[in-house]
Amino acid sequence: MAENIYKPHLAKVVEVKVETVDIKSYKFELLDPGVRKTFSWKAGQFLILDIFGVGETIFTFANPQTRNEFIECSIRKVGQVTEAIHELEAGAIVGIRGPYGNWFPFDKWQGKNLLYIAGGVGLAALRSPIEFALDTFKDFKKKTILYGARSPLDICYKDRFSDWEKVPDTEIILTADKGAEGWKHKVGFVPTVLKEVHLSPADSVAIICGPPIMIKFVLKELLDLGFTPEQIVTTLEMRMKCGLGKCGRCNVKNIYICKDGPVFTYAQLKELPDEY
Amino acid sequence: MAYLITKENIKNLLTDLIKLKAVFAPKKDAEDTVLFGKLSSSSEWHGDALLTHTTAKDKVYLQSETFFKIKRNKSGVTIEDGPEPEETVIFGCRPCDARGFDIIGKLFNWSNFVDEYYTKRIAKTTIICISCEKPESTCFCTSFTKGSPVNETGSDVLLTNIKDGKYLAESITDKGRKLIGDNSKYFTEASKADEEAKVTFKAEAEKKIAKKLDLAEVKRKLEPAFESVYWDTVHLPCVKCGACTFVCPTCYCFDITEKAFDNINSVRVRSWDTCMNELFTRMAGGVNPRTDTKKRFRQRFMHKFNYHVDNFKEELCTGCGRCIKACPVSIDIRKVIEEIR
Ligand SMILES: Cc1cc2nc3c(=O)[nH]c(=O)nc-3n(C[C@H](O)[C@H](O)[C@H](O)COP(=O)(O)OP(=O)(O)OC[C@H]3O[C@@H](n4cnc5c(N)ncnc54)[C@H](O)[C@@H]3O)c2cc1C
Ligand code: SF4
Ligand code: SF4
Ligand code: FES
Repeated sequence: MAENIYKPHLAKVVEVKVETVDIKSYKFELLDPGVRKTFSWKAGQFLILDIFGVGETIFTFANPQTRNEFIECSIRKVGQVTEAIHELEAGAIVGIRGPYGNWFPFDKWQGKNLLYIAGGVGLAALRSPIEFALDTFKDFKKKTILYGARSPLDICYKDRFSDWEKVPDTEIILTADKGAEGWKHKVGFVPTVLKEVHLSPADSVAIICGPPIMIKFVLKELLDLGFTPEQIVTTLEMRMKCGLGKCGRCNVKNIYICKDGPVFTYAQLKELPDEY
Repeated sequence: MAYLITKENIKNLLTDLIKLKAVFAPKKDAEDTVLFGKLSSSSEWHGDALLTHTTAKDKVYLQSETFFKIKRNKSGVTIEDGPEPEETVIFGCRPCDARGFDIIGKLFNWSNFVDEYYTKRIAKTTIICISCEKPESTCFCTSFTKGSPVNETGSDVLLTNIKDGKYLAESITDKGRKLIGDNSKYFTEASKADEEAKVTFKAEAEKKIAKKLDLAEVKRKLEPAFESVYWDTVHLPCVKCGACTFVCPTCYCFDITEKAFDNINSVRVRSWDTCMNELFTRMAGGVNPRTDTKKRFRQRFMHKFNYHVDNFKEELCTGCGRCIKACPVSIDIRKVIEEIR
């Protein structure tokens, strides 16, 4: 009998790290060594995390397949289950099922410039494709990361940036909507900064993730810069329950975001009605 | 292979089946509503009503299904599977109900993800369907490629009342053949004339169905209609009660939640949900792609007659007409899809 698609694997919280006021990063280890060996994913996919006694929620794998010692997630506290997650300490037992969804098509992007544009917790969804590209940096040209947060305090993954910048041809551009004492980076919204730094669309792919309003304006800027819809990639977020295309709630048209997404090119999104 | 069975022997068959399996059939509840209820005696079978108020869907796809029990204690977490489903018979449903199982079964097996709660239960269920002699004004099964008052899709055995008190019994699947084989004393072989009588029965029954929709045309009209102003007004009477999706033999949407009893014990539960509910698509923080009734109303029709057809090559509807009867504001699904602009 095939495995029960709704049943999670047991996992242990190995490490909890505070990123910002409302984001914490978690490392999980699957308990069953056999499952640990076979469990694999690709940057862009997501998992369903099970807090026993409370319920399930959806999170992107924060680490790429090239750094798969643990399963990592960065989680913003927003509601019932995420609040319970923020209470967890190392040693706690959780459940994990997945991986679900599609992934970033890196095999199609060999030899290209990669431009990552993230806003807020959106960087959590881009960490795995960023680190995947850094780990396989020889396959790509320039890697630019443009990341904006509300304030310097809301900047996630601060302590990863120095390692990221060590990778050849990698640049990080940070911006905060509002600056603060000692902030040496840019001040302003992501789309405005994008216009300033004026990145070329030649041989490039833009990978964006952030709040809908940011995405909307970033899209406009990218198109103005000459990016084609095929060169722009983003991930969609919808309320989900099953992750399997069955519970019926995450559809846009006949596309189920959990099964056919969450990664889409802007060219694909343009064909969908505005219901996400 | 076709057989004959008398009404008397149907009752005898039911009596025997009740001893061995859980038998669900149309039955009056305390308020005289006819629903699929568990029979304790064959006399409880109420075969006169054409359609039960709700479908037999909930006998296979439970309205509330415990996926598993969870126990948390010092030594860790254990997940305990629920009991295996029991042998079940659904007796006396109609072809539109039976076809509903065929349709949602495909969803529960979709894209290599097999939902074992559904597949295990349907594997243990034998469906004995009865052809419809007197379709009602709300019936529109003949609009569908596979729909008809005598259609066998989804049934294991199909009974057709071809002459006073005599039913033609056709075994459709292995489960159906086994049921007839195990109870052969109640069946006699049908003659060629008996089988031909079904053709007449079909023609007579289909004549009573007033409305036949051109569903290919409906699909063509729906495809470009997402932004149509049609949706601005057609939804207005709807009170978002969700009755239409609740009584539907094909609506399958669900929620997954956790019910905790204390700090140690909880259960993971799957329960029916509906796109007519605002919370269905509401994300943490309040963002909701389908905030208003218009969008949810549109989703129901788009899903049934456009999106689902794209994914499964058939409509998510069998034409039973229950939603028409259940709707408190008399919204008629046939009218809604026919008038799309
Ligand atoms: C593909 C995908 C990847 C995601 N990755 C991350 C991530 O890496 N980090 C992160 O912090 N957040 C992520 N989210 C959002 C996260 O799933 C929600 O914030 C979370 O489900 C809220 O749960 P809650 O119980 O705290 O909120 P409540 O408002 O109490 O939600 C109740 C239930 O509704 C569902 N739900 C509510 N909001 C969402 C939502 N936005 N998306 C999906 N289901 C929802 C969940 O099943 C949740 O348990 C992701 C969402 C999707 C769809
Ligand atoms: S989306 Fe609505 S119409 Fe479609 S199956 Fe779910 S409840 Fe029924
Ligand atoms: S039964 Fe009628 S009122 Fe209720 S949700 Fe369905 S269409 Fe709307
Ligand atoms: S989350 Fe259930 S269908 Fe997508």
